[in-house]
Amino acid sequence: MAVEAQRQASAAPARPRPKRSREEEVLVWPNLVFIEFISAVLFTITFTILSVFINAPLLNRANLNVTPNPSKAPWYFGNLQELLLHMDKAWGGVLLPTIFLGFLATIPFIDRSRHMQGVWFGTKYAARITVITVIYATVVIFALVSFDAGESTGTERLTRWIPACAESSEDVSWPCLRDEVGADHLGIVSTKDISKRLEFEVLGVKWPEDLDHIAWPFNDSIGDWDLGGIGLGSIHGWGGEHFNIPSIMAEQVIPLTLVIVVFPGMIIYTLFRLGWVRTRRDVLIVMFTGALTSFVALTLVASFFRGQGQDLIWPWKIKVDEG
Amino acid sequence: MSVTEEPGKPRNLRERLNVLQDRIYDKLFHNYIWQSIFRSGYPNTPRNQMLVVATNVFLHLHPTRIHRTHVKITYTYCLGGLTFFMFIVLTITGVLLMFYYVPSVDRAYQDIAALETNVKFGLLMRNLHRWTAHAMVILVFLHMMRVFYTGAYKPPREFNWVVGVVLLVLTLVLSFTGYLLPWDQLALWAVTVGHGIGGSAPYLGDETQIIVFGGFEIGQPALIRFYTLHVIALPLLAAIMMAVHFWRIRRDGGMARPL
Ligand code: HEM
Repeated sequence: MAVEAQRQASAAPARPRPKRSREEEVLVWPNLVFIEFISAVLFTITFTILSVFINAPLLNRANLNVTPNPSKAPWYFGNLQELLLHMDKAWGGVLLPTIFLGFLATIPFIDRSRHMQGVWFGTKYAARITVITVIYATVVIFALVSFDAGESTGTERLTRWIPACAESSEDVSWPCLRDEVGADHLGIVSTKDISKRLEFEVLGVKWPEDLDHIAWPFNDSIGDWDLGGIGLGSIHGWGGEHFNIPSIMAEQVIPLTLVIVVFPGMIIYTLFRLGWVRTRRDVLIVMFTGALTSFVALTLVASFFRGQGQDLIWPWKIKVDEG
Repeated sequence: MSVTEEPGKPRNLRERLNVLQDRIYDKLFHNYIWQSIFRSGYPNTPRNQMLVVATNVFLHLHPTRIHRTHVKITYTYCLGGLTFFMFIVLTITGVLLMFYYVPSVDRAYQDIAALETNVKFGLLMRNLHRWTAHAMVILVFLHMMRVFYTGAYKPPREFNWVVGVVLLVLTLVLSFTGYLLPWDQLALWAVTVGHGIGGSAPYLGDETQIIVFGGFEIGQPALIRFYTLHVIALPLLAAIMMAVHFWRIRRDGGMARPL
């Protein structure tokens, strides 16, 4: 008997439930059904009125030969379209969003404490770190976006002190930025400049020209095994015949490290040192809030600040060329 | 159980109206047909109120009792329920749109244009479908935020959160597949952007474009794929996942609250 009881105790899932106390409960009918009914009615009325006054768009018939400028994805994918401008397409369009969804799905498996479930902002500083993270992520995203459009936002001026490369540059050892022939000197206009315009030399190795076509060690095959077949070449700069290290740095390593490691790390570390982030739940609040805010900020940029050729401009200056 | 048991002559207008009101009530709710549908009258005792929730096919998604804090609007803001409601409105308006729409590149655009001008309430249905679709996307995000910031994903609700993430993706994909159907410039070029994004998938870029979009350009193969996904495959899948989602809420002991 005792053994049986013990077995049952250990087999029972360690999933405590909140105690039910009848006095604390209300009847679903009418209390909840009433609320559901009223909100359904309110939404029906609101959307009917909205639909009477505002029509869904219907432009000209689809025509593959006429490309509108700018062409935009639906707003909820505008954030991805925006990411494409700042990093390698495979990362911005596919891998980073997949990581984001994977992160969302694993949240409950990372924070497994049962503490304070079912209350808004359950930990001591939850509300505070949420607000701080929203502000932080908004500022970071807008700053990064402006930085990557350095010429129109003027952030290029911050890096103008980096000298221009001499026109006939046989030995550039100090970092310099190559300008177009005859053009004024510009600072770093976008991250892509790191692989295109930035030049320097360390230990006799020149950036970028010595590093942008490093032979893939096995020349795409090991013995009979054809590596080309697994398509590494589809991530820009990888595989194929050559590695392109400067472009891998500019379009993958730098942007990804910034958005996955550096900026999240900085805010989490700071809030931790301030003593406001104290549990896993707090860390997740910062990560979730930061990711979602970035998502929203990118959506706003894509919807309201991208004009023809995806140039960064003010909303009121956007003109759509129907083609 | 007629209400008009003691006839007695009505003496003034007020009593006359009362009698009239009772008669109408009787005719409406105590007739043979009504009572064949609703087996009992308005549930006005706690016992009957619980019974109606437990035995009604639509209401039985709910428990019969619920914790006081969970009916406070400021706890859920009704967001999950409203997301579901948007789904229902979309299903109804979507079925009506299907009556007038043929998923062919030669006809689709014309059908939508005709729907707007020649069909009574056609424009209204299309607008409703469009705006509630946008609303559903926004609401599902807000609902996810409510669940996150109330810590309602914590054990034992981990799995239901994952079901939720699947629902989030389904909602986005449903919306995106619908975007192509009007076959106007907005639709074509927005989906072309998505097509490009799909094509940049490592290893599977070409496969994605061929399987999901039916080729390297948006045309009839893409339209028929999107249509089929949009009107049957994805809604069915979403409905199933919602059933799981709601069932799990009950299985997990109702909504989350502090232990
Ligand atoms: C089509 C999409 C969805 C529908 C129709 C839906 C519907 C609902 C409804 C009606 C509830 C009851 C409580 C409430 O209204 O807040 C609920 C609870 C819940 N939902 Fe969703 N939901 C959807 C998407 C999601 C998403 C995207 C997530 C998270 C990623 C999620 C996670 C949860 C969890 C964990 C609960 C339990 C909350 C608690 O115990 O307090 N759901 N859902």
